[in-house]
Amino acid sequence: MAYADLLPEEMRKQLIQRIAEGETAREQAIDVMTALQNHFGHMSDQAMLVASELLAMTPLELEELATFYNFIYRQPVGKYVIHVCDSAVCWMHGHESLMDHLLSRLKIRLGETTEDGLFTVLPVCCLGYCDHAPAMLVNRHIHGELTREKIDRILTRLAEEPHLPTGMK
Amino acid sequence: MYPQVLFANRKASRIATMEEYCRSGGYEALSLVVGKWTGKDVCAEVQRANLRGRGGAGFPAAIKWLGVPEEADYPRYVVANCDEMEPGTFKDRVLVHADPHMILEGMALTGYATGAEKGFIFVRPSYESSARILEREIQKARDAGYLGKNILGTDFSFEIVVHRSGGRYICGEATALLNALQGKRPNPVKPPPYPTVKGLWGRPTVVNNIETMANVPHILRNGAEWYQGLSRSSTSPGTKLFCVSGRVNGPGCFELPMGITLREIIEEHAGGLQPGCHYKACLPGGASTRYLTSEHLDVPMDFESVAAIGHRMGTAAIIVFDQNTCLVGATLNLTQFFARESCGWCTPCREGLPYLRDLLWRIEKGEGEEEFIPMMRAMCDQLWNAYCALAPGAASPVESLLTYFEDEVREHIRQKRCPFKT
Amino acid sequence: MPRIVIDGLEIEVPQETKVIDAAERLGIMIPRFCYLKSLGAVGACRVCAVKFLQGPFKGVQMSCMVDVQDGMVVSTTDDEAVAFRRQVIEWLMLNHPHDCPVCDEGGQCLLQDETVSGGHGIRRYKGSKRTYRNQYLGEFIAHEMNRCIHCYRCSRFYQEYCGYRDLGVMQIADRVYFGRFQNGQLESPFSGNLVDLCPTGVYTDIPARYKVRSWDLDRSPSVCIHCSLGCNTVANARYRTVWRVEGRYNEALGSEFICDRGRFGFGYTNQPSRPRQARVDSRSVALSDALKSAAEKLSRIHAASGPRAIACVGSARNSLETQTMLKSLCDGLGLPAPCFFVNSQTEKAVKRAVASLDERVAVSLNGVAHGDFIVAVGVDPLNEAPMLALAMRQAHRRGALLVILDPRPSFLPAPHVHLGFAPGELNGVLGSLVGKALETGDEGKLPPLHEDFLKSLPLESLFKAPVNHGEELDVVLSALQKSRRPVLVCGSEIVRENTPSLCADLALLMRSAKGQCGLFYVLPGANAFGGALLSGSEESSFMEVVESMEQGCTKALVLVESDPFLQFPHKDRLKRAMEKLELLIVLDHLPSLSAEMSHVFLPTSTLFEVDSTFINQEGRVQWSRAVHEGGIPMEQWTEGNHPPRAHGAIIPGQDFKAAGKVLEEIARNMGASGEVSLSDPRFRPGKGASPLEGAPGDRPGDGMRLIPRESSREPFSAREEYFTFGEDAGDSLELLLVEALFGTEELSAHSPALEKVEPKPHMWMHEQDASMLGFSQDDVIAMDLEGGVVEVRLKVSPSMARGVLVLPRHHRLQWQKFRDISVRVPHDRMRKS
Ligand SMILES: Cc1cc2nc3c(=O)[nH]c(=O)nc-3n(C[C@H](O)[C@H](O)[C@H](O)COP(=O)(O)O)c2cc1C
Ligand code: SF4
Ligand code: FES
Repeated sequence: MAYADLLPEEMRKQLIQRIAEGETAREQAIDVMTALQNHFGHMSDQAMLVASELLAMTPLELEELATFYNFIYRQPVGKYVIHVCDSAVCWMHGHESLMDHLLSRLKIRLGETTEDGLFTVLPVCCLGYCDHAPAMLVNRHIHGELTREKIDRILTRLAEEPHLPTGMK
Repeated sequence: MYPQVLFANRKASRIATMEEYCRSGGYEALSLVVGKWTGKDVCAEVQRANLRGRGGAGFPAAIKWLGVPEEADYPRYVVANCDEMEPGTFKDRVLVHADPHMILEGMALTGYATGAEKGFIFVRPSYESSARILEREIQKARDAGYLGKNILGTDFSFEIVVHRSGGRYICGEATALLNALQGKRPNPVKPPPYPTVKGLWGRPTVVNNIETMANVPHILRNGAEWYQGLSRSSTSPGTKLFCVSGRVNGPGCFELPMGITLREIIEEHAGGLQPGCHYKACLPGGASTRYLTSEHLDVPMDFESVAAIGHRMGTAAIIVFDQNTCLVGATLNLTQFFARESCGWCTPCREGLPYLRDLLWRIEKGEGEEEFIPMMRAMCDQLWNAYCALAPGAASPVESLLTYFEDEVREHIRQKRCPFKT
Repeated sequence: MPRIVIDGLEIEVPQETKVIDAAERLGIMIPRFCYLKSLGAVGACRVCAVKFLQGPFKGVQMSCMVDVQDGMVVSTTDDEAVAFRRQVIEWLMLNHPHDCPVCDEGGQCLLQDETVSGGHGIRRYKGSKRTYRNQYLGEFIAHEMNRCIHCYRCSRFYQEYCGYRDLGVMQIADRVYFGRFQNGQLESPFSGNLVDLCPTGVYTDIPARYKVRSWDLDRSPSVCIHCSLGCNTVANARYRTVWRVEGRYNEALGSEFICDRGRFGFGYTNQPSRPRQARVDSRSVALSDALKSAAEKLSRIHAASGPRAIACVGSARNSLETQTMLKSLCDGLGLPAPCFFVNSQTEKAVKRAVASLDERVAVSLNGVAHGDFIVAVGVDPLNEAPMLALAMRQAHRRGALLVILDPRPSFLPAPHVHLGFAPGELNGVLGSLVGKALETGDEGKLPPLHEDFLKSLPLESLFKAPVNHGEELDVVLSALQKSRRPVLVCGSEIVRENTPSLCADLALLMRSAKGQCGLFYVLPGANAFGGALLSGSEESSFMEVVESMEQGCTKALVLVESDPFLQFPHKDRLKRAMEKLELLIVLDHLPSLSAEMSHVFLPTSTLFEVDSTFINQEGRVQWSRAVHEGGIPMEQWTEGNHPPRAHGAIIPGQDFKAAGKVLEEIARNMGASGEVSLSDPRFRPGKGASPLEGAPGDRPGDGMRLIPRESSREPFSAREEYFTFGEDAGDSLELLLVEALFGTEELSAHSPALEKVEPKPHMWMHEQDASMLGFSQDDVIAMDLEGGVVEVRLKVSPSMARGVLVLPRHHRLQWQKFRDISVRVPHDRMRKS
């Protein structure tokens, strides 16, 4: 295992164990990629090769999955990935102006990462928090009833406390 | 206040514990049934109760279960669909956060009814908290002997695994979900064979929405008659979790009898429209249903009644629009959603939805032309010939926009701008 | 059989026929993009919509997704269906780049055809087009993703049908992308089919790219002659150049696919080094003069030293016309029978195989694909007959267990059990496998002769075998016991000469026990079958020809499209023997050492220049039509000028003839009858005419099976000799000279396209043999042999047989330094270099 050796011993063992528990290795592909992306920051080509070895799938077979999903990042992302819901209910509740605010505050365009590598902003479809619209997800943690002020507060807190756990991206 | 069955233990601040669930009769159905009834008996009782699927199509659960051939091979599987990516829908999340063990018991019973010993809960990424809750509670149920090997000392065993999705709307479609779960590309697969014959790894597999499964323990414990009595409708028994969002004062998820009117849900339970807002339309069952106008406010919300007026109840997730919301813009947003979430398998959906989006976008931008209207109508019809139900669902808001709000569309075209934008 | 009415026409079709296919039988071609019979239906493109008027389905449905059922009434012309199909085309064309003028698919593009036939002509869509980045997919296939209409044929073919895992489908929604993880050569040796499969120009083949327009091409039905399977093809030529070879559907073979060797191996016919000029004693002369001179010289020797002083050698790449003419020349002049094989052990095995085939058991490639248990003995499917590997994969997909009983490391694009035994052990292992599987239960039910044979099978030898195949063997045994349609596939290159007869006996035995059993041989060369039928008795082997040349008895040698230097184990010995000849006549279209040494050289046509006939390994006669008249390719003649500036009445480089015609004229000049006679009764299989008679139009499209109802060979007659176990290996390795996918086959070795992908020369050893000798992977090993030192890179494998040395006869490797073909290489003759 040439690439899998890039992982910490503990993590590698855990992943191998988890893969063995599934009915098939493939079944664990998303979990393994999610774990690797948390470890490497994103699913880099190298991370893809690690996953390929662990799961005994070809890189292409993994790419077929990785590029399908919203929550696997094949390009570098910031420490905090912000998914802003742009579906109907959030749209009705002013998602567009909030998005503008978020992006201008972070000085990036949609899909980009801030220069300090802290934030990436991506669009996402309905998050299932329509009762708390408008909503966004930061590393899979939900923030609802967003206002400009609330967004400012969240960003400030995250930027000031980089020791916060990054959680699952 | 109507009887609360699924939300009996719901609290504003926290999740019901296993003990609380048990105190309210939880896991009684399991001990009642397991080792005493046959799987067929369970199916029969659920069939008598006429439990209908809560994932959107309203298919009778027991009929689906009986689709598992008696002589079919083992292992068999049960999948609880907690993907819930239909815009406007959040009931599954609320249910997990209210009373997770109800889902677990429902799954175990579904497994018992169909001869499955392993279940998967398929959870979307934005519900990471639900996934963690479920994992934690599965462990508790296992420790208590409600799950795992030899449940309650019988020879029935049932394991539950939480499977996290990578996040895509199409993964909620049952056959696409099974592909996703197996680590394949989540394209739908047209039956036959049905998943109940050949599902996960070629084995019989039952896929139900988690709300559907959560009803099962109550039906078995209280009987079909009791269950029928919960409803105001003769064809759709039980209670239903209605999600209300949009321009209402009190958005949220409410457990109400099937057959309750749309008006009552919006005006009484969701607190009516926000100040200054008047009801214009709603989508009654998520993004893939047709707009209901104020003419329809008195329709009883159950599968048959909504179908009778040519609409679909879908997931019963009601998105309310007011007079100041541009429905061309809203429909454009919905179409954008479907175009982006199309799995890309079949032509109508992969290419037709971006086409519709483009037409709507031009209208909204003021570049619309008269001929777009018949084009869009025709295309909505054509989308019904797509491979799976995503594209027909996507056509629904567009088609009903043209049916009920053609004037609003024409006004965009005439004024060469969106009349709602100042 | 259900009946259906389509557009007012009624037809009865077999169960499980799709409506789209039923319509095709009626001559109604319903549009399709994703559907392909060989790949099955998936209903993705939605362009095959028709309206169901009566029957179990109603309304617009996809005709590829619905099986015909009684009572169905279908309209393909219904307004609703037509409108929907037109809409689908419009959708598909939204993002298409409309680059038909520069697209190589243009003119044979399904998308063009369906766009026109669907009635979509006016663009309404105002949005911008999606664009993609292309990938480098290797030396064969160019990628142009913007043209893609997402029919999913490529990824399904590549992964599901072929079992390769480096090309697939990525992304989602309207961004779906077909390609690889990263740029790189496609790994599948069947990748060329993407060119044929793709309904538009996403995949076009590089050798022909930007060279020709499809409507300018001359096309003709042809047959692939790069191995013995004889897959059907279409040849494409223009400007005196063959540009492209495509697959062609043959129902009996069961697919329209071909391998990349067959697709890209045609370069020999165009290459500048192809000898096109007749020569006599190193002087260039006209073919007619050379022919006269050849006849005169031969007559002189015939008169002076008698007919036995002349030897004729053909090959397995000869057409049947050539082989029969050679045979009739020899018969007419009283010469020894022609020899068609250089390796006499192979020759014996091939002859036994050919003699053993009969209608009761012989199956076609499609039969292999439908077997439920396939055991391949002494054959390396992917390397020797690539499409066989794909047929085996299809059997696997239908649930068959695949077993390969072969000493070589096994590469098969499907899960299989590989039992790596040495050639000498194969008979015993196979015999005991079948013996064990049939042992129980069936006694008494078999005819006595069969019963006896079953009893004679060595039940134990398999289990004594010195290899730890224990668990796998149990799996194999139980699958064979359960099997209802087993198929035995048997090679002829490295097996013992009696292995083919053993397989035939076992197939007959299993047939009586199970009701059905298939037998499928793989032979060395496109027309090895014809060669086996037409060559003389076993005594006249090529080795004897060599000895006779050495002794001076054979004074003249006629080589007909044959270069024995490629196969003969000892090059210097052969050269010395040939130098003693008074006359060496070589007929060929390939450059070779033999051609260089010849006194008279007579250029011959290739497959593409003359109608010709080949008999594949299952005895199927197939006809190939000339696609052009040949001549020096315009590109070479005009040095790339286009349009060509040189004009003249004579086509340069066209002074050649079909080898058979050359022989016929020599015979006539020598006073022999020159009449083609197919005297072997097997050429007249009862029904139908002799394969070389009749007008081309009358010939059956699927070819004509030339095998008797029952084989002439006495079955079960040779059982004792089957199971004598091989000699002890001692301190040596058994040499196996083998075929490789690319780089060994004679014709395709001259293809520039394949040269780019062929692997470097190498040889294989079991990893334990290697470590015992102190060698490891990638060491260069020097073998000190009779004819000098051979140096070659080593590859090791854990799963191949012990005690063997597997050496692909790579055309870049000067390996011909062995005393004999069946030779052992002593350990102490090998060292790391
Ligand atoms: C595009 C699409 C998305 C769907 N998404 C979901 C979903 O998120 N959750 C769900 O329960 N059912 C979803 N469904 C319905 C499922 O296919 C399936 O009918 C359902 O899970 C079966 O459960 P039920 O019979 O209990 O309703 C979706 C269907 C389609 C066509
Ligand atoms: S309608 Fe077609 S492209 Fe759309 S989601 Fe279904 S199968 Fe995929
Ligand atoms: S050919 Fe039938 S859907 Fe494509």
